[in-house]
Amino acid sequence: MRYPILSAAAVLAVATLTAPAGAQDYIRVGSLVDFTGNTASVGKDYGQAKIDAANWINDNGGVNGKLLDLDTVDYTYIVPRAIAAYKKWVNQKVSVIQGWGTADTEALVGFLANDKIPYFSASYSAHLTDPQGKGPQGTKAAPYNFPMGPSYSDGVRALIQWAADDWKKKGGAGKAKFVHMGDNHPYPNAPKKAGEEYARELGFDVLPAVTYSLAPGDFKAQCLSLKDSGGNYAFLANTSGANISLLRSCETVGVQVQFMANIWGFDENVMKAAGKAADGVAWVMGAAKWGDNVPGMKLVQDVSKMSDPSGKAYRSVHYIRGICSMFWMKEAIEWADKNGGINGPNIKNGMYKKANWVPAGLEGVCPSGTWTESDHRGITKVLVYRSKVTGATDGDLAALVTAGTIGMEKVFEGDMPRRPEWLGW
Amino acid sequence: MHPCGDFRTSYRADMTIFPTRASAYACVAGVLLLAAVPLVFDIYVLTLLIQIGYYGVAALGLNILVGFTGQISLGHSAFFGFGAFASAWLNNRFGIPVLLAIPLAGLMTAAVGVLFGVPAARIKGLYLAIATLASQFILQDFFARADWFTGGSAGAAAAPVAVGGFAFDTDQRYFYVVLVAVVAMYLGAANLLRTRDGRALVAVRDHYLSAEIMGINLTRYRILSFGISSFYAGVGGALFGHYLGFVSIEGFDILLSIQFLGMIIIGGLGSIMGSIMGTAFLVLLPEVMETAVKALAASGLGQMQAVADGIVYFKEMAIGLAIILFLIFEPDGLAHRWRQTKAYWKLYPFSY
Repeated sequence: MRYPILSAAAVLAVATLTAPAGAQDYIRVGSLVDFTGNTASVGKDYGQAKIDAANWINDNGGVNGKLLDLDTVDYTYIVPRAIAAYKKWVNQKVSVIQGWGTADTEALVGFLANDKIPYFSASYSAHLTDPQGKGPQGTKAAPYNFPMGPSYSDGVRALIQWAADDWKKKGGAGKAKFVHMGDNHPYPNAPKKAGEEYARELGFDVLPAVTYSLAPGDFKAQCLSLKDSGGNYAFLANTSGANISLLRSCETVGVQVQFMANIWGFDENVMKAAGKAADGVAWVMGAAKWGDNVPGMKLVQDVSKMSDPSGKAYRSVHYIRGICSMFWMKEAIEWADKNGGINGPNIKNGMYKKANWVPAGLEGVCPSGTWTESDHRGITKVLVYRSKVTGATDGDLAALVTAGTIGMEKVFEGDMPRRPEWLGW
Repeated sequence: MHPCGDFRTSYRADMTIFPTRASAYACVAGVLLLAAVPLVFDIYVLTLLIQIGYYGVAALGLNILVGFTGQISLGHSAFFGFGAFASAWLNNRFGIPVLLAIPLAGLMTAAVGVLFGVPAARIKGLYLAIATLASQFILQDFFARADWFTGGSAGAAAAPVAVGGFAFDTDQRYFYVVLVAVVAMYLGAANLLRTRDGRALVAVRDHYLSAEIMGINLTRYRILSFGISSFYAGVGGALFGHYLGFVSIEGFDILLSIQFLGMIIIGGLGSIMGSIMGTAFLVLLPEVMETAVKALAASGLGQMQAVADGIVYFKEMAIGLAIILFLIFEPDGLAHRWRQTKAYWKLYPFSY
């Protein structure tokens, strides 16, 4: 016989297809993560945060005594795989899903509305914030999507507000020039129009956008055109990998521009990789940073110990946002459990019950959020931080931060108004 | 594979799709069994089968181009994407019913494929591969820029298939749409290869000089092959788009093109059935690995920190490893293995 391999594969295939049914006292939560795909550089931290948070919740009484059964699937940022995982979860009757990026979130919007499963995503695209599809610029309703951070559009608006202040402070003459930089792709384009329009509103000159690819490369040509255009504030809409290359290229070319970056476009790892080139970049933050002196940091550190018992690991800004997302979800499930049972519509309602709320124990870490039936722009408080890189960035990240070689400081805190015409845009 | 002594004595016997009556019955029974799947299995199984279906149609197109005509394309996913956008566009812009928009999208994609296939008239081999690579990048850029056609970076909404108010909007229902499409497209390809044009394609592959001497217009058939291949890609893409209800410019990248090549190489170049077998293999492999990795993580071994950290990377590497092992031990693909299995049992216990 020469077919044992094939029959083994067949057995495995059958085993996959008949996934075991869940026990009753568990709350099934699906979790899409990207550990090995295109967005793994930030996906690893965010995914780990979700796992750690679930473990911590289970070790500390669960959700009203019920344990979370977090099913983590690494879908490697490939849409059909995310959909397969989703269908599996629908079968298993998950109550709620912790999603990940643009690709999976966009693909699932319609399915989620049909199946009534709340979806807490790390994609903060503004059109996901319009649950009833009533925004003037919105495309379609996304009733079960909860982006767990400031929308990309609100992020760039906050940066522009900060830039306007900064320009005044510096005593800049005339109008400052704003330029959007990014690939022609869903993620970088999401805040493009909103940003350019708001920049005009605040009296900026808006220069033609500069395109640089999401894949890291040599961006000296783009840096030269940025230099020639005379822009003062450049918004980097790409993800961190491309931004590292861009910052380095622009340093080589000698560009003197205030760079600003989107929420997924900058973090401690970018500072480490880009070194001095990443000094002074202002970017959007959706939560406190690791080690901040705020009441909720204790809980964050406890959660971190779930996968790092020594407590020595340094956790990036994305890790902390992942924890916030899990704990908001936890409280919504708690409400649902006490008010009619754990199911999609109840968890969704659970998100609406409080205004300006922070998950218990995470005060000072997560910004306060307000979700309503007609408006999922939950988190409108945006923090703008500015990076500080003082020397060579070789060695361990935790050590570099301790030594102060890599640092960041809050330079601006804004509450973006929920203008009706901005809904879903 | 025919056992020794079993000769075909007429052209009719040589051209038949089903060598024996039993194989014809088995095929019909197989389709009927599949048609019963939604009644028995859950939507996880269905979504995988639907995925195999739409990828399988597109992979068959690539197999016609690569396996039967001996050309090469590194831009198949761009045509797949073009079909998805074209079908959504036809439906959204002109109100053409989705059921009609899907084949029309296939025709539009075929036209684009013919256009990008023109270089095949002059170049072949590696040079052609690079020329088709251009189609990948040009189309991807087109998707990102052509707001009127694709909705640009915001993507396009794709309505579900509906016939007279009955919407095929659940997995159970959509499964039948895909099943019908797969059967039709596979029957179409099987029959295509029995026609004069189909034989010409194979002749171009086997020896282009001989083919030309026999009076086959090489340019015409090479470009025709690109057109047919793109038609299949377009229909597959359209099925994909209407299943998701949304088409994003993300995802139709070179990786997917390579994956299509992987499907037909694993399934068997120049085999109709191999196309769907290879597709099934590449769709199910990550799911099987996911489960295997989960089982490993749940066992005692997974509790060790080092193992837990490495396990996700192990999964992706194992997928690559499985493909490599496959190519080493079964270079002729799953279709060949299937034929050997059949022959083994047919001749059992007197195989030679």
